[in-house]
Amino acid sequence: MHEISLVRNIFRTLEEEFPNDMQRIRGIYLKAGLLSNVQPILMQNAFEAVLEDQPKYNQTSLHVEVLPILIQCDLCGQTSKVEQYRFVCKHCGKPSRNVIQGEELLISKVEFD
Amino acid sequence: MQKPKSNQASVGSVQCENTTLNLLKVNDFVAKAIRERLPNILVINVCSSPGSGKTTLMQETGRRLRDKLNMAVLVGDPETERDAIRMRDVGINALQIVTGGMCHIEAQMIYQALDHIDLTGTDVLFIENVGNLVCPAAFDLGEDYRVTVLACTEGDDKPKKYPRMFLTSELLIVSKSDLLPYVPFSVEAVTKDARDVNPDIEVLSISSLKGDGMEEWCDWLTERVHAKKEKNTEKVA
Repeated sequence: MHEISLVRNIFRTLEEEFPNDMQRIRGIYLKAGLLSNVQPILMQNAFEAVLEDQPKYNQTSLHVEVLPILIQCDLCGQTSKVEQYRFVCKHCGKPSRNVIQGEELLISKVEFD
Repeated sequence: MQKPKSNQASVGSVQCENTTLNLLKVNDFVAKAIRERLPNILVINVCSSPGSGKTTLMQETGRRLRDKLNMAVLVGDPETERDAIRMRDVGINALQIVTGGMCHIEAQMIYQALDHIDLTGTDVLFIENVGNLVCPAAFDLGEDYRVTVLACTEGDDKPKKYPRMFLTSELLIVSKSDLLPYVPFSVEAVTKDARDVNPDIEVLSISSLKGDGMEEWCDWLTERVHAKKEKNTEKVA
């Protein structure tokens, strides 16, 4: 993936949201769905690399949580976890592409000093 | 999205729970703008690995449909103008987007490219994405349909290896089908795996060089060009 540009996006998004408080951000929490193709270890490496470039943020740490893929069945309405990339309802066996979790790439929480 | 007020963060120690800032939101916003800008042109995002035969497929499509449809292509490649030249050779309006080494196209690049290509009278706009089955899957380019091209020489295990690409595609084209007798590739197996990931995906086997399946592909395309125009006429009326 393109982790460096994602990390730059994190800072760009935060600069937009918290223009006056960037210096006080200590923790950034990401939720990355399995389908977002984000590898936590590569994100950490990219994060370190961007901090080298932007030392003003080096009090900040990144936490990435990978979320499994969940689908909601169109037929029975139940939610199931997708394993082995088989997009099939575990309750009634109907195939489904109604993904309700797993594609996201979100900043879920920001900790300030 | 509820915007957290930044002054809330300026007193003491604050945890901004549920800020849910979407890192792809800029892209999605621009993708929506592209859709609004092209209400009458069918936009197809063509994705694949490098060397699957996207450009050859576009060329052959151009040759077959040049009297029926006006086609334009935005070609994304890390470097060189070569593919755009190949398109212009067969009379397709083409603009190269040199991504400068980037592994995917983002919506912003398409939006800017639209200022540099004359789409007057165009029926269908292809976006030939960078050859890569991973990153392009995450970026909506404002397309109506996403078509993934998979050459039978690549092996039939790709849908499970690159699930998001197949999950987000409406059509899977198995290309170079004239080579099927010579390679251990099962269209049946790839269809099954692709439908495990995406039960709605359509599958077509095509040989751009020999012509097998080209008619079905051209029909698929023509049908959708007209459907989009009709839908837009209804909206205007």
